[in-house]
Amino acid sequence: MAETNSTPIISLKNISKTFPGVRALDDVTIKVMRGNVHGIVGENGAGKSTLMKILSGVYTKDSGTVEFDGEIVEQTTPIQSINRGLSIIYQEFNLVNSMSVGENIFLGRFKEMHGMKGIHAKARELLDSIGCKINTYTMVADLSVSQKQMVEIAKALSYNSKLIIMDEPSSSLTSDELKKLYEIIGYLKNKGISIIYISHKLNEIFDLCDMVTVMRDGHVIDTKPITEMTHEEMITKMVGRSIEKEYPERPRCVGETLLEVRNLNTRKLHDINFKVNRGEILGFVGLVGAGRTEIIRAIYGADKVKGHELFIEGQHKKIKNPIDAISAGIALIPEDRKLQGLILSQSVKTNIVMAIQKKHTKFGFLNKSSEKAIAEKQVASLLIKTPSIKTRVVSLSGGNQQKCVVGRWLETQSKILIMDEPTRGIDVGAKYEIYMLMKEIVEKGASIILISSELPEVLNMSNRVLAICEGRISGEFNPETTSVNAIMEKVLG
Amino acid sequence: MMQMIEKTKLQKNAGRVLSFIKNYLVLVSIVSLVMITIIVEPKFLTQPNLINIIRQFGPLAFFSLGMTFVIICGFIDLSIPGIISLVVIVTYSLIEPLGQYAAIAAGILVGIIAGYINSRLIISCGALTNAEALFITFGMSTVYGAIALIIAAGKTGHLSWIEKDTSAFSFIAQGGFGDFLSFSFLLFILCLVILYIFQSKTFLGNTIFLTGGNKTAARLSGINTFKSIQTVFIISGLMSAIGAVVLLSRITTASPVVGRNYDTNAILAVVVGGTRLTGGQGSVLRTVLGVLLITLMSNCLDLLGVSPFMQTMLRGLILVIVIWIDYRNQGGKQ
Amino acid sequence: MNIQNNLKIASRLIIKQKTIIAVVIILVVMIFTGSGFYTTFNIMELLKSAAVLEILAFGVTLTIICGGTDLSIGSSMCLSGIVAIILMDIIPMWLAILAGIASGAAVGFINGFFVVHQKTEPFIITLGTGILIKGLCQQLTDAKPISPSNTSFVTISNGLVFGVVPNIIIVTIVLMVIFYCILRFTSFGRNCYAIGGDYGVAKYSGIDVIRIKWLTFVFSGLTAAIGGIMLSLLLNTGSSIYGDNTPLLVFCSAVVGGTSFAGGIGGIPQTAIGILLFSLLDNSMNSLLISPYVQMLTKGIVIVLIIWFDCYARKRKREAV
Repeated sequence: MAETNSTPIISLKNISKTFPGVRALDDVTIKVMRGNVHGIVGENGAGKSTLMKILSGVYTKDSGTVEFDGEIVEQTTPIQSINRGLSIIYQEFNLVNSMSVGENIFLGRFKEMHGMKGIHAKARELLDSIGCKINTYTMVADLSVSQKQMVEIAKALSYNSKLIIMDEPSSSLTSDELKKLYEIIGYLKNKGISIIYISHKLNEIFDLCDMVTVMRDGHVIDTKPITEMTHEEMITKMVGRSIEKEYPERPRCVGETLLEVRNLNTRKLHDINFKVNRGEILGFVGLVGAGRTEIIRAIYGADKVKGHELFIEGQHKKIKNPIDAISAGIALIPEDRKLQGLILSQSVKTNIVMAIQKKHTKFGFLNKSSEKAIAEKQVASLLIKTPSIKTRVVSLSGGNQQKCVVGRWLETQSKILIMDEPTRGIDVGAKYEIYMLMKEIVEKGASIILISSELPEVLNMSNRVLAICEGRISGEFNPETTSVNAIMEKVLG
Repeated sequence: MMQMIEKTKLQKNAGRVLSFIKNYLVLVSIVSLVMITIIVEPKFLTQPNLINIIRQFGPLAFFSLGMTFVIICGFIDLSIPGIISLVVIVTYSLIEPLGQYAAIAAGILVGIIAGYINSRLIISCGALTNAEALFITFGMSTVYGAIALIIAAGKTGHLSWIEKDTSAFSFIAQGGFGDFLSFSFLLFILCLVILYIFQSKTFLGNTIFLTGGNKTAARLSGINTFKSIQTVFIISGLMSAIGAVVLLSRITTASPVVGRNYDTNAILAVVVGGTRLTGGQGSVLRTVLGVLLITLMSNCLDLLGVSPFMQTMLRGLILVIVIWIDYRNQGGKQ
Repeated sequence: MNIQNNLKIASRLIIKQKTIIAVVIILVVMIFTGSGFYTTFNIMELLKSAAVLEILAFGVTLTIICGGTDLSIGSSMCLSGIVAIILMDIIPMWLAILAGIASGAAVGFINGFFVVHQKTEPFIITLGTGILIKGLCQQLTDAKPISPSNTSFVTISNGLVFGVVPNIIIVTIVLMVIFYCILRFTSFGRNCYAIGGDYGVAKYSGIDVIRIKWLTFVFSGLTAAIGGIMLSLLLNTGSSIYGDNTPLLVFCSAVVGGTSFAGGIGGIPQTAIGILLFSLLDNSMNSLLISPYVQMLTKGIVIVLIIWFDCYARKRKREAV
């Protein structure tokens, strides 16, 4: 059994990090003791990945100190961090798919390892030590997720890592593969290597970890030995918060079925069937990567999907691309407004009228006066702060940019408005305005599908909530009567 | 974090300065060049020379107008040389069997079809980035050029050899009202007006800007991005064909390799005029300015006795500098 | 079920080895056409013309694997021969040849600056530098072919080792071995694969992505220069019309052989076979007395098909939801 030293392998004190519009980390203090498996839990947006990226050198902290293995670490690059003995295994893996296992483990260290022979020999050694039988000459692209993970672990070992951070290691693993992972973690622990285990699978946290830190909204809520923590307590700490008057009164105008989705199956999604009612706000909750965005992209025709059926107002509709979706009455406010929602180099006016321009044309000619009127109307009603409708949207603030996107879709008078992270990166005042808007929209008879990583937002605005977990609908709830913890359980699977 | 923000502000300002320089430097340099030429070689201001300038406006102007739309949409059409050669040869070969007007119509049709084929190939490849368009149109130029060579059996023809009526061609080349308002110039103005209206006042024209600005956002907003891509390549093919017919009328020889270099000059005219290679903005009016600048530059340098090869070098240099600044400002678009 | 599976495996193998199979097919077909293909003279001509393209392709392979594109190789090819021939009158021949080679490296250096340091789109900027250099070539030669004053020039590449194999082929083989070793056995070469395979991951792992990618452009210019000198030696002439269609041809040969535009895949053997296939196509069509224009058309269509297919395959991968 590993001796737990009294000195921490890594000590984070008062780490803060702000991005435009959002405080990602606020005065975070965590100590990971040597030889421990230290779990970190939290929902989307809790700050876990920001914290990891600061440790690895991808982001720079705004303030606070990091002390690793007795040394204060200021600014660092990823490779410096790795060389110091801190490795991170990302959920998406940091591997070159077109190269072999051996070369990936020793990427960039060809010379020191004396060429291919040396690389593959040492790689073989490392893989054997964790009980992995993969041929080191196999191309990474041909490996399963579990195998790729082992390659990453071997890579961390090759750098003599003292601390290995694993970011959501068990998503996509079978139960056998998970057992193997447990064994390997046991082996690493025996070697005196400390591990930070970031996961939403609370069972695994309870199985593996010695200490656990719960984070929420960029704060550390609590750090305790796992023996002193209960399942219930952990969930409460992850989600619990006082519900301030941030939200308007919940709209209550749910009518008959408006949209029905049957049999949606893709590589990632399984057996998705659900209904959306008129006047309803239907919330999708789930972790990043659970499949929420994939579901709505499939409905909207943004991704090429076959085999599912859509019924709008009882009629069967074939939606193969966004144009079909819009004529069927569906609108989408995408997740990333800068990349997918706006044409940054164009004006406020252009961005607002984009979707309905065609309707106002006469014999193919643009109706510039209509367009101007529409744009001005939306700017006024949504209170978009802009010098003029001719200003390029790139110079607007995040909240106002988002309002332009919303304004565009309001003009289309769609029956079903899908909003994917509508208030991301927006200040509190603008958020409230958008919530009021959502209320207005459904009170007029349209429906909203709301995807948000902010649990309170979904729980306060929705009439009904679907929990999505690993590509399936794992639960359906009434947010007014179900406890947050119960919903969270289904989200975590 | 603050450092990050400041850096990008600095970069933005640097980008603005650079693009100002680019836009006005070219203009200023060429105006200076013109003035120097007038001083050194007063022949510049003589009527024959000015007429010459307007004449040179011909084929290149048409090609550049077509190229403008492709670039605004975020792509590049390198198949213009091949299309030119093909149209010239097809038109020439069809005068005997079909008569001159049908031959011209056929030539124009060839250009349109070629543009359509280009767009189909690019669209079926996904049409997300410019890279595919670059290589595919480059390759198609060879194909069209080879077809031209096959039809012409490698031989160059002359309009004068044809026994049937070829007066339409002479009219295109020399007709018109006086020396300054030649037919080809008037045709150019007509095309310019039509294309300008298309660009700024029609829905389809507008979608080209949107597609070039952000294909993903445009598509998600219900814009038929494939239609805009198809449109720009067809326009490019059409304008190449029109320009090719004008070219044939002027030089009266039908050579299967006549199209060479017109593509790079067209790109040059467009970017010098101020339309960004990265797409989403620009105007045919700017391109006219670009063509004028290039034509003036060529004329002045000729008068000053600069060798045509030095001029090629200069054009290459300007192209490199303009492209460099364009991409610098954009900061590497996806 | 078993037969279906076997068929699948067999077809995947065939597609992987498609180039070699195509080469074999052509070689076999030519046996039956009795067209003077299989004469020593013709085979030597085939190898000589392939040799120049191969030399260019070696450097190009490096750039493609590292994720870049260099279209100025045609012009660099011209420039080197011209520089060498012009300088031969002033300085000793071997020094002039070295200067010619250096000129290619210099062009590569400039390309690398724009693409890697300034992050300009490689295709279009190298097109621009290509035009610039071509203009330079024309200016230096007044667009007329120039001949070297030194008569031993021509023997360098046409001279025979063991009385049979032309020198140029020896040079090609030597370069092939060198570049093969670079790509397989040096950290520089392996890092090229990493950078082309995933730029972000390579950078994250501490690989000096900028220096290495920049160098690949220098190499590409270098091999273009060497190829150009070899060509000028072969023909005893420096001319500004060399290399007009070369970039496209070399790229497509590389792709058809298995070095994909996507980067991170392929290598010298793959590229070499691709070039061999195209040269074989050329030569065999000539032997069959097919019109040069039909040849051009065939080549053009094949090139477009290859590129289109490469892009299409990547599109299918992207869309696999």
